[in-house]
Amino acid sequence: MPPGEDTALDQAFLIQFTGSMAAVAVLVGLAAWARIGRPAPGLDEARARDLLGEDFPEQRIDQLWIAREGKGALARSGACALVLVQVGDGYAARRLSWCQATSAMFKNGLLDIRLGEVAAPRAVLAFDNWPPADLAA
Amino acid sequence: MDDLDPVSLAVPFFILAIVLEIVLARMGLVRANYEPKDTFTSLAMGLGSSVAGLATAGVIFAASLWVYQHRLFDIPMTAVWAWVLVFLLEDKIYYWFHRLAHERRFWWASHVNHHTSQHYNLSTALRQTWTGGVAGTWLLWLPLSLIGFPPAMVAIQKGISLVYQFWIHTEAVGKMPRWFETVFNTPSHHRVHHARNPRYLDRNYAGILIIWDRMFGTFQPELEGEPCRYGIVKNLATFNPIRVAFHEWAAIGRDLMGARSLRDAALYLFGRPGWSPDGSRETSEQIRARWAAAAGAARPSPATGAETGLTPDVRSESPA
Ligand SMILES: [Zn+2]
Ligand SMILES: [Zn+2]
Repeated sequence: MPPGEDTALDQAFLIQFTGSMAAVAVLVGLAAWARIGRPAPGLDEARARDLLGEDFPEQRIDQLWIAREGKGALARSGACALVLVQVGDGYAARRLSWCQATSAMFKNGLLDIRLGEVAAPRAVLAFDNWPPADLAA
Repeated sequence: MDDLDPVSLAVPFFILAIVLEIVLARMGLVRANYEPKDTFTSLAMGLGSSVAGLATAGVIFAASLWVYQHRLFDIPMTAVWAWVLVFLLEDKIYYWFHRLAHERRFWWASHVNHHTSQHYNLSTALRQTWTGGVAGTWLLWLPLSLIGFPPAMVAIQKGISLVYQFWIHTEAVGKMPRWFETVFNTPSHHRVHHARNPRYLDRNYAGILIIWDRMFGTFQPELEGEPCRYGIVKNLATFNPIRVAFHEWAAIGRDLMGARSLRDAALYLFGRPGWSPDGSRETSEQIRARWAAAAGAARPSPATGAETGLTPDVRSESPA
């Protein structure tokens, strides 16, 4: 490759890359402007049970707590805790031990559960108190 | 070579089509949901994928050139029959690549990226892997060069397939005419492929032609009574593109560290996604079997089951 061609290639790449970044910004801006996400009215108990049932169809739910403004939920199922966390206008569900849920950090009305996955690092749920006052023995 | 790359040529069209889909959805004229963070992740994955692709493109092209030097036949790039043949062969290779990418964890770790969105719109089409070159599935296309198809011809056909698969990532199109749905991969067929409903898991691997799924027993039509729920079995709780790109590789690494035997390590790497030594996780097959059993139990009689669309539709796997 003659000298100079190398830098020309680098420059072409840089221009293309910058152009692509700008296109990404425009499209994301357009998506935000359009407000065409799925309607996410916040969870109620029935919807939370439905969603948990999709991921854990065989898991019996003993008790269920909905986070403030319906942005997530936590259920007790025997020795397990089932967590439902809002992701954009969708949800992700995870199962962990009940101990992990009770020992999670609770500060300023936020329960911060470490899920320990690269795909799901943590679930932060807003509750008035934790452990919940109505927790069955 | 870049002048002939259908993907590079199509980028402006991709952008315009996404703009159109968003604007028409905003006007209420077509069905499409866009969530800005999800859209960002999809587009960032697309951009990252093309940068990552540059790193391995040279090696892949050099390998196909080397194989081509040892070709069995001389196939002219100017003959129509050669294009028809490369179209059919490439599409069949795509089917088996895609099936492998879903059925074996090592390749799933790379391909899973494409399935991580809970949305299904044109931006989802651009949510592409960053680790495809490393996963090595490009080796599957080398036999085409060994037969005698010029590497440029194979690269162009691969590009045509990728461009074709862009437009099918939409909810704006319901069903195409019946003859088209019979032969070609369509928005409807590919929606099923992106769905996490047990009935729809690991179905419709087609690139351009759906006939391969029909032939090899992996076809599942989209049912009116069962809307697609998009995403993966365990949806991601993050929009961070780095986490999206590497999460399954990291999960494999963690499993390998805890593996108690060579057999376990091999199955963690090359077994079905969801395999675990103690059976504490589930593979797609197990999820579908559990669902089918439950649906069967809930069904009072075969006739009513068929009407409600609850009939388990478990097909036997064709020999791999
Ligand atoms: Zn796939
Ligand atoms: Zn797709």
